Amino acid sequence: MTLTIVSLLPTLQNTNGDAQNAAVLARRARWAGLEAEVVAVDDRAALPERVDAVVLGSGSDASLETSREALLGLHDELRRWGTEGVPVLAVGTGWELLSWGIETAGGRSIEGLGILPGRAVPRDGRVTGDLVVKSPLFGAVVGFENHARDYVGAEGSPLGRVRSGEGNGRDSGQEGVVMGAVFGTHLHGPVLAKNPAFADHLLGIMAERAGLAYAPGERAGEVDGYAAAARAAQLRAAGIEASTA
Amino acid sequence: MRYAPAILVGRLTRFAARLRKPGGGSAVPGLVVNRIAPNYLKRTLSGFPQGLVVVSGSAGKSTTTKMLVAILREHGVDVFTNPSTANISQGLTSALLEQADWRGRVPGDVAVLEMDEGHGALVMQGVDARVVALTNVMVDQIDRFHDSEMVAGMLGRIAARAGEAVIVNADDAYLERLAAKLRSDVAVHRFGVSQAVLDSAPRGLGYTETAGRRLAAGGGLVIDAVEGREVVLDDRGSEVRAGIPARGIHYAVDAACAYETARAVLGERFSRETAAMALSAIPAVFGRGERVTVRGQEVEFVLVQNPASYQLNVDSIEPGTSDILFAIGSDVRDPSYFWPADAASLGRVKIVSGSKSAEAALMLAYDGVEIDRVEPELGVALDDFLAAPAPERGVKTIVFSADSMRRTRAHLGLTGTE
Repeated sequence: MTLTIVSLLPTLQNTNGDAQNAAVLARRARWAGLEAEVVAVDDRAALPERVDAVVLGSGSDASLETSREALLGLHDELRRWGTEGVPVLAVGTGWELLSWGIETAGGRSIEGLGILPGRAVPRDGRVTGDLVVKSPLFGAVVGFENHARDYVGAEGSPLGRVRSGEGNGRDSGQEGVVMGAVFGTHLHGPVLAKNPAFADHLLGIMAERAGLAYAPGERAGEVDGYAAAARAAQLRAAGIEASTA
Repeated sequence: MRYAPAILVGRLTRFAARLRKPGGGSAVPGLVVNRIAPNYLKRTLSGFPQGLVVVSGSAGKSTTTKMLVAILREHGVDVFTNPSTANISQGLTSALLEQADWRGRVPGDVAVLEMDEGHGALVMQGVDARVVALTNVMVDQIDRFHDSEMVAGMLGRIAARAGEAVIVNADDAYLERLAAKLRSDVAVHRFGVSQAVLDSAPRGLGYTETAGRRLAAGGGLVIDAVEGREVVLDDRGSEVRAGIPARGIHYAVDAACAYETARAVLGERFSRETAAMALSAIPAVFGRGERVTVRGQEVEFVLVQNPASYQLNVDSIEPGTSDILFAIGSDVRDPSYFWPADAASLGRVKIVSGSKSAEAALMLAYDGVEIDRVEPELGVALDDFLAAPAPERGVKTIVFSADSMRRTRAHLGLTGTE
């Protein structure tokens, strides 16, 4: 059986390489001896029969409405994946589109798909920089944030506590939101490659749902060494001791 | 006379800066002059007898500018141009000061300036250009320009300063939309690749949005073919062959942009043969596909600056090349935006180095590239890489970011950095 990872709207929503997280899941699955493929889905017609995980990246503000339209065509599926426990990783504006709604600095208001609790609200100026989060599930989660809005209403179930950076903002001290196996985060780019515990958590869920066993492969062990070095460098730069992260 | 005092102060500042840092260029004199004579830059740029030509865009502007200057000079035009590192306001003023007489006047018939797309919109406020050439729209360093809309907006403001003509890449959908909004008395000239050339690019041209249709023959300058280090252009029915500084479609596109811009600048004086001759005479562009001899062996340098050049330059490395050093430095603040590119064709990399070596190794590993060693210290990596026996296949190839390139050249005692 082949694990199928859907990369949602990769044309519109891949500003920072977030869509590559789908490839990271597939690569790690293969390293573990499982079969896996990534299917790019820009509209409903391209949906594969079986969906084991979904990755939705971040796009530009100019494409918010276009992306929302495209996602509305998949509204039923997104709801179903959410309730059935299919892992969904949504990053940046992709996450915002899955929320209750988005308010832009220009006064636009965009209704979200309501898959995740909370909403995106304007902040004073864009934030770009390293973000370090302490997550109860994965320990230290590191990455880069680049967003023009804060996120409110995630207090009930954030991804973790901000150790360095801004995260959800509005003095919440929190980053991201989690609802079952649906994850929303500002951590853009290859967050799953840099945080193998996060990737393996999603792969564990995927394998279990598919009746397979997942244990990280030998190559993953070597590659996670690079991730550990990159993480250590980022923690050092943020002035956080690895032992306390 | 009005600028003589400011020029004098600028000169003194430059002198002082050189005492502190011998041989070094500095933006400080420009900063000082911009402060005490805020109109100097604006007036000087607008004051060249044959006008100001501005080259901007996300990628390829340095190469295009060099090519354009070469073509104009080959036609006997006296050109003032800026070094590519001085493409923001202070640097630009400093570059002008280098050439200025005591009254602040800069010799030259025409000024050709490479303009940073971010600072260009600001520098160009109140400055009138004759011709503006735009190369493409791509997502640049992530911390600066978060999306293509923003880049296109800034390029639109630069293009709006053109009084006579704007040259656009017809394959770039953003630039085509921008051209449609220009004043009706400004001529639009186009260059673009043929369908065959587009089909031969394994991953397209790398623009944020590639236009759906190709430029029709006669609708502008069409790149008919790219054969190794030669480009075949269709200039309104006439075939023009010219050399390009290295393999790669992007060099052919840069050459076409420079050729078409020179045509707009020179009008009747433009000669196809002279332009082709000037392009063919340009030596290999520094840092991209540049062959150098170091420590008695041939080494190829490949510079990566943005996702598109990363993809194109990685694709241009001969598959099977056995000895590759891959170095990414601190200039790449966050390598996330490189991830959509695919480096699988490298197959195996001997050493990954630079201050971002761990992130670079992670990215290569997920592309399926084998990595023999990660050595964060670039000096150590270079010494070991060069000391290793001759490669089994291809030449020793060093892929680096701009910061790692500077460090590499300094470590190896190579000069020629601009």
